[in-house]
Amino acid sequence: MADQKEEGSERIPESFRFKQCVNILKSTGKKAKNLRELWNGIEAASSESVYHHTYQYFLKGHSLEYSNDFAQWAGESLEERVLAEHLSSIDPYEFADILDLRNKLLEVIDDYLETFPESKEVVPGNEFYFNETITMVFPVGIRARNLAEFLIAVRYLDAGSIYYHFYDARSRLGGKDDFSRWFEEVLAKKELAEKIRAMDPFMHTLDGIRQHIMEAVDEEVRKDMEVMPL
Amino acid sequence: MIAQYSGIAPKGDLVLLQKLGEKLHNKSFLHVNSTRAGGGVAEILHRMMPILSELGINARWEVIGGDERFFEITKKLHNALQGKLETFSDEMWQHHLEVNKVNAESLNLEADAVLIHDPQPVPLVEFRKGGKWIWRCHIDVANPIKEVWDYLSRYCDKYDGTIFSVAKFARTMPVDEFIIAPSIDPLSDKNRDLSEDEIRETVERLQIPLDRPIILQVSRFDRFKDPIGVIKAYRTAKKYNECVLILVGSAAADDPEGEMVLNEVKEHSAGDPDIYLHLLPPFSDKDINALQRIATVVLQKSLKEGFGLTVTETMWKGKPVIGGATGGIPLQITHGVTGFLVSSVDGAAFRIRQLLNNPEMAKKMGEAAREYVRTNFLMPRQIRDYLSVWYSMENKGKRLEL
Repeated sequence: MADQKEEGSERIPESFRFKQCVNILKSTGKKAKNLRELWNGIEAASSESVYHHTYQYFLKGHSLEYSNDFAQWAGESLEERVLAEHLSSIDPYEFADILDLRNKLLEVIDDYLETFPESKEVVPGNEFYFNETITMVFPVGIRARNLAEFLIAVRYLDAGSIYYHFYDARSRLGGKDDFSRWFEEVLAKKELAEKIRAMDPFMHTLDGIRQHIMEAVDEEVRKDMEVMPL
Repeated sequence: MIAQYSGIAPKGDLVLLQKLGEKLHNKSFLHVNSTRAGGGVAEILHRMMPILSELGINARWEVIGGDERFFEITKKLHNALQGKLETFSDEMWQHHLEVNKVNAESLNLEADAVLIHDPQPVPLVEFRKGGKWIWRCHIDVANPIKEVWDYLSRYCDKYDGTIFSVAKFARTMPVDEFIIAPSIDPLSDKNRDLSEDEIRETVERLQIPLDRPIILQVSRFDRFKDPIGVIKAYRTAKKYNECVLILVGSAAADDPEGEMVLNEVKEHSAGDPDIYLHLLPPFSDKDINALQRIATVVLQKSLKEGFGLTVTETMWKGKPVIGGATGGIPLQITHGVTGFLVSSVDGAAFRIRQLLNNPEMAKKMGEAAREYVRTNFLMPRQIRDYLSVWYSMENKGKRLEL
């Protein structure tokens, strides 16, 4: 994203260079058929595996019933809806590292097992499969030098690019996203940045996020264009 | 070639393909399977080779040969990996290895990356000559016969990595296991856009009526595809909605049960002029394409399924699919969003009625289904994944910046 240029005394804004990420799925060969096995699996899983099943959930284009793979499996396959609700309310970005997130997941399952110790078992084929990913990050060859260009680019980008700059960025930038950072730090659009940051990342699909960003930027561009605001 | 996918496949997939092409430029990539024609693997390889070459990769495709005995053994091997009980002797295993040894002597196996497709050529790894060796398993190995899997594992462990189509097919192994879903080619005869004349030609030749909604299932006549269940579901739905049923399949020459199932289907459909049963010859891709496009509701009511590429093909045509909740079908159908998942005849009948009575909902689901296939199951994505696996083996790390 770095592209600072000086032309004479005029400082040209740094352009936003869009990137995208693609996950290549790897199996760990481990699976769980009931809640106790899920607990054991989460405890033993690599950090990459826990990361994949939580942070990377939104890249899969799921509908909004749940917010991570563990919750989805608990709700859909185990049909333990209450547990699914508890697991779904865990916000991975609240945790400083994967270890804390893992402990929270285990704690929620522990609490549930205390109340409902008789854990159901799924039919063969519906087990939880612990996976990991290799993430490929690459520039998509599109840059935006101003909000108007940004608006057009966001409309046509693949969802993987929205994911990279909106979700993946939070792990890279300590909770912030690339878009709002660029709006604030390069374009000095603090209000717009705050609007983007105010979006609840768990309540939208990637296309929903795209739509919200477009609406916010569209409004900002219109405001900038108005010579005589009414 | 790649340019033909522009505007169809996701832009990011094509960009990543180009980037990987730059990184792997002039390196050699060898694919080995056991047939040049027929079957999904050969079909994809035919399309993939020119794309790899265009990316600047020295792509080669070798085919192993063998005597009749060899292919009898590998057919049994294939069945046993899918859970069918078969008996094997040491002599059979020895013959499997021997034929591969003979092939290894005549084939050029030197390459920077070697992708071995399916179990027939799997022992070639014994004769590897450098490069990264990857075994690509295209078949459903969720419940293999243990003895057979153990035999195969001895070879698998000598690869640098393996690739399975669905996570549930993967097993605990000492080598890296990647999950790469299969794909369809949007430009092939089975999936490309058809003109009205082309569709009309199929409709007239097969005498399909267009005056009522069409329920369709395309699949082999196999008990696991539950054609009788489809007829029952159609009959229930027909009590409430006027419709016709088209069952299209091919006679599976390698399946002795095929004829028996076909006869049962004929028996169950006898006397109903609104059931159209079509046995299509091989290479009827355009006809299948046309039927999927004119159908109102498409079923894939499988009781057991590998990945279920017919589901992918139908979703690509913007149709909502009612699929059995088995194998790879739930990976494609998000219940209520891109189609419906069912587990019984009653469930299938109910969803047929729901779709027939709510054409707007069916249209929306169909659109979501097409987009889901576009972003996940088109061929450029599969090539992208193969190259990514190779690249990740040469550049270790969980996050690779290109």
